[in-house]
Amino acid sequence: MPVLTRREMLAASAAALTLTRCSKSPQKSAYTPPRAPVANVSIVRAPAYNMDVYDTVFRMVSDHNLNVRGKRVVLKPNLVEFDANTVINTHPMIVHAAYEAFRRLGAASVRIAEGPGHRRGTLDLADAAGYFGTIPKFEESFTDLNLDEVAKRDIVTPVSGLKSLYLPHTVLDCDLLVSLPKLKTHHWAGATLAMKNLFGLVPGGVYGWPKNVLHWAGIPESIVDLHRLFPKQFTIVDGIIGMEGNGPIQGTAKHAGLLIAGSDVVAVDATCCRIMGINPVKIDYLRIARGEDQLGEAAFHQVGERIADVRTNFELVDPWKGMIRA
Amino acid sequence: MTGWNDNQNPDGGWAYGRGSSWTEPTAYALLAQLAAGISTDNEKAVFEGGLRFLRATQRADGGWSPQPGVSESTWVTALVTLLPAKAIGEQRTERAIAWLSGQTGRESGWAFRLQQRLGGNDEPYPEAWPWFPGAAAWVIPTSFGILALERAIDRGASSRLRGRVSTAKEFLFDRMCADGGWNHGSNRALGRDGDSYPETTGIALVALHGAPASPQLERAKAAARRHLASCRTAEGVAWLRMGLAAHGERAESPRVLVPRTTVDRALLALADAPRNPLLKAA
Repeated sequence: MPVLTRREMLAASAAALTLTRCSKSPQKSAYTPPRAPVANVSIVRAPAYNMDVYDTVFRMVSDHNLNVRGKRVVLKPNLVEFDANTVINTHPMIVHAAYEAFRRLGAASVRIAEGPGHRRGTLDLADAAGYFGTIPKFEESFTDLNLDEVAKRDIVTPVSGLKSLYLPHTVLDCDLLVSLPKLKTHHWAGATLAMKNLFGLVPGGVYGWPKNVLHWAGIPESIVDLHRLFPKQFTIVDGIIGMEGNGPIQGTAKHAGLLIAGSDVVAVDATCCRIMGINPVKIDYLRIARGEDQLGEAAFHQVGERIADVRTNFELVDPWKGMIRA
Repeated sequence: MTGWNDNQNPDGGWAYGRGSSWTEPTAYALLAQLAAGISTDNEKAVFEGGLRFLRATQRADGGWSPQPGVSESTWVTALVTLLPAKAIGEQRTERAIAWLSGQTGRESGWAFRLQQRLGGNDEPYPEAWPWFPGAAAWVIPTSFGILALERAIDRGASSRLRGRVSTAKEFLFDRMCADGGWNHGSNRALGRDGDSYPETTGIALVALHGAPASPQLERAKAAARRHLASCRTAEGVAWLRMGLAAHGERAESPRVLVPRTTVDRALLALADAPRNPLLKAA
């Protein structure tokens, strides 16, 4: 856990407060991680954001034999800040490639949806991140999850302090939720990948900016509870250029030249951790979601590149150094 | 005032874009109508429709939820109380202020403070307002809390509310970013300064209207001017202009902006209005 100074405790968000004092202990929950079948995780080299990405993403999705014909698919990128020149946001080309791939595979509808955690002008944010320029008629395909219609969902045997959440209809009604995160380190959670990306499903229009109820309920535990609410998921992680250091916003660019994908989101996140040189067992939300014994490298079937051949250690900020390095 | 009836829902409220009515866009739409002036029968009917939605959706605890399907009163209560009490109903407004004055960020509640003290941390946590009950206080809901209680004090509400206003302003100054503006409220983490945002900088400046001149305030205004030069969102530009106007500085919009939501549209109208109903009792 990060150790904060008093001054930072006062100034920083309740996320910090939660991490140090208020997190609900997962041991108190009745939740037991299920035994998961061995999952395929694809690791494919993609050296740059160029036209080859479209074919690579299509092949990755096809290889997983997802039956999306006639289904409603929602793509959830990670849009955080107004800056097209940094590596904060999921690259728009990855989102467009996924959009095209699922359309080509016969999905009845493909929507792009996001509810940023800090900034209210989601469409303006998407514009600044290059989405309007890359994805034709972007506005027609996009739903701002912060302002979408909502419905309440109870959380059965929560591991966090949450008993229920209001969630957007767009994601509650879809047949497949596709998380499109960026490969990034995270100063409060260690790493932010497909599971953490689901914080953007929680509507700011109800909970505010940031979605601070999740912090008080326990960040890792809330990540797990949100993940469990959406059993039909797929993920493609944008690891072409990721972020190391003080992520998810103030870190620095790190070229990894990879796309990582799979239907078992926990397996994909654990694999991404290993690629970044992070021990997934040390990431609280992965350990809670799956249990230590199911996070070993042998628990997943790697397709494509081997982790050892593509591993590139991401720099970690001080509180995490020496704590989570694999 | 033209066009507010175009996207008004049958229940009298407004959506952010399309769909069901939400409290926030409805309150802003009504404030924008007030700023523009309401004179024709049609304008009066549209305005009254919005009030009807808000009257119908006030909760038993006195607050408003973000939309009728959500069973929890939240920060939007402060926004509704910025409408004239005579229009929304004086008793309704009093009940809303009572709800609001009972809300604080969880970090300033007794349980958390006791926990901190036992852990050796005696730092004060100024009372301010959360977005959602049970969460920490943040800049935007705190700014609206200040405006709402100041309005209530002007109407003759208990002077003990002054203490809350004063403490909430301390909170705002405490959360000021190193660049002079405000972000959502996390100005420094893990030894790094956070960058301010245009919209939060403008909103905080509006809430600090009437604050005595100080180097801090000058830095905040300078940050607002910098943001205004580069900001490309309707919401950001509107709040920056209102924030500077709240301190006597008239600033024009540097570019033509596209309103994406009902809130954007209302905020642009409020920023253009000669008299801002967020600041003065209408």
